[in-house]
Amino acid sequence: MKTRRSTRLSGLGGLVIPYARPLLAIFLALLVSAVFIIYRGANPLEAYKAMLEGAFGSRAGLANTGVRATPLLLGGLAVAVGWQAGLLNVGIEGQIYLGGIFSTAIAISPLPVPPWLHLLIAIIAGFIGGVVWGLIPAFLKAYRGISEIVVTLMLNYVAIQLTSLVVHEPSPLAKKDAFYPQSPIILPSAQLPILIKGTSLHAGLIIGLVLGVVIYFVLRYTNFGFRIRMLGGNINAARYTGINVRRLMFVVILISAGIGGLGGVGEVLGLKLALYDYFVVGLGYDSIAVALMANGHPLGVIATSIFFGALRAGAGKMQVVAGIETPIAAVIQALAVLFVIGLGFAKVGRGSWREKKEDEAKEVLAHGE
Amino acid sequence: MESSIVDLLAASVRLAAPLMIAGVGGVFTERVGIFNIGIEGMMLVGAMAGIWGSLATENIWVASLLAMVVGGLLAAAHAFLTVSRRANQIVSGAAINLFALGITNLLNTPLYEGYKYRPRVDLYPILAPQWLQEVPLFGQVLFGQPVIVWIAIFLPFIAAWVIYRTSFGLNIRATGEHPQAVATAGISVIRMKYIGVILSGVFAGLGGATLALADLGLFAPNMTAGRGFAVLATLVVGKWNPILVAGAGLLLGAADAIALRAQTFGFAIPYQLLVMLPYLLTIAALAGLVGRTVPPKTVGQPYDPEKI
Repeated sequence: MKTRRSTRLSGLGGLVIPYARPLLAIFLALLVSAVFIIYRGANPLEAYKAMLEGAFGSRAGLANTGVRATPLLLGGLAVAVGWQAGLLNVGIEGQIYLGGIFSTAIAISPLPVPPWLHLLIAIIAGFIGGVVWGLIPAFLKAYRGISEIVVTLMLNYVAIQLTSLVVHEPSPLAKKDAFYPQSPIILPSAQLPILIKGTSLHAGLIIGLVLGVVIYFVLRYTNFGFRIRMLGGNINAARYTGINVRRLMFVVILISAGIGGLGGVGEVLGLKLALYDYFVVGLGYDSIAVALMANGHPLGVIATSIFFGALRAGAGKMQVVAGIETPIAAVIQALAVLFVIGLGFAKVGRGSWREKKEDEAKEVLAHGE
Repeated sequence: MESSIVDLLAASVRLAAPLMIAGVGGVFTERVGIFNIGIEGMMLVGAMAGIWGSLATENIWVASLLAMVVGGLLAAAHAFLTVSRRANQIVSGAAINLFALGITNLLNTPLYEGYKYRPRVDLYPILAPQWLQEVPLFGQVLFGQPVIVWIAIFLPFIAAWVIYRTSFGLNIRATGEHPQAVATAGISVIRMKYIGVILSGVFAGLGGATLALADLGLFAPNMTAGRGFAVLATLVVGKWNPILVAGAGLLLGAADAIALRAQTFGFAIPYQLLVMLPYLLTIAALAGLVGRTVPPKTVGQPYDPEKI
């Protein structure tokens, strides 16, 4: 049990204190954005109040927040899993596209199975789509020592073009004579159920929330999770304790990519209900922002993604009430991230007393046993 | 047929120019050991600053300078976060891209506020006299191009000379390869890193201005559309050598030019395959399938002066 304390993933209590910094960062981001709002001739307090109401003030607003948060949640979790292992998956965008392609292929084909099974197979197909897209970076990272960052980044653009190819005729997934290139509509049996009637809030959010909690417990309480954190904490220590570092890296990148694929599942089977060209733009990079704000903590990812989702959902109302255009949400989000890394998590600088203790513990682990 | 090939070559060079300029900056930042995926966002703000400057001052060179300054400022933020605060370079770059996308979308309305029609702005001038432009092949491909394309062609050679032939260039290269050696020689590693990163923003800004002011004369939301990431691909394929990087940029420009025509003329090969090819080539290059590609040794790692 002692060794568990020496690793990075904190419990619920430990979540609150590190969160002071992100909260301060969010406050500073709102403050800076307020300057812009004043420059545009609006009252920032009224504008932010409108944003809050827009995001949480009504059933429709809440649903919209959930819809916006879902892909950020799944994408953020994908990044967080890699983060815990010291890996940075920049390829969420591409994995979302692949998840979309694979799940669409199943979801537009009538299968002789009950509806729930059809949906389940389509979801799993999406996960596999992400995994497929993770194979190349996983292999190159684990067995060739090539940074996963550039490879996953480049694959994003391959995935975007692949999706474009797939929705244009004569591809088997393309809808015939469509006005705008797209796949046929997802069959009702493979659509994610709507959670609140009359809104577009879909069960993708549930998948994300459950997954977040599951990942938390796996990372914190299982052997496998411990090995992942060990890999992220000190790769040499991990090696000395007999962990097959290469295989673990390989597996973690695949899991991370698979979760990224689920992000595409939510968007296609829950929201768009067909595969389109460019059906997400920049979500992969937003996911990195989400994971960073949470410092890679899966429960923190849930909180951060809801916050970012609320910013986007509330921006519409802010535009109506205060006349500030919706991209302000992206600006606030970006500033918050920049302030977080500017202020730094405890990692930067000389480190706290507690971290030194942790480092010592790792040293002991590395050489003592 | 011949005229369409000449036309294609001309379009390739024109489309490649922003990539070639930003690529020079990319070489500097990765040579000092700092990834800058924020080049995308820096190009975007450069494009907007270029249009804004051109509208406000009606002088294309002041506008270019403004684009470079704005790009450089954004890069300075990246340098502060990644060098001084030792933040994760990818996270910082991603946040800068998000910021650039948000702020340019936000300022797009005020940019054109007060104009009934989208105003005409001055474009980069075409300097060659008419008789030179009528020379077969070279006339259209080279002399008929706006002056910024010429700059894009010359810049990589100047950068290569600086990097390989001057002591400043040696310091730049050493900073990414062996920062401790640089520090031992009494040169500030931190300062070299700042210079490299800020140069990348300056050239990304100019690249963005090129995108907006070479022949379009307007700003559109997210008009860079991934070109900054394409620049990162050219760095790998061009092995961090400015001249080869520019060559890779030309290749990407050609792929773009063919793809644009394929959409209108209907080629046998889907244009998407063509557009994804450079990115696949980049991965192949990294994987060692096409010769040896070795990135600057410490790229991506934070520099801690206390660690030897």
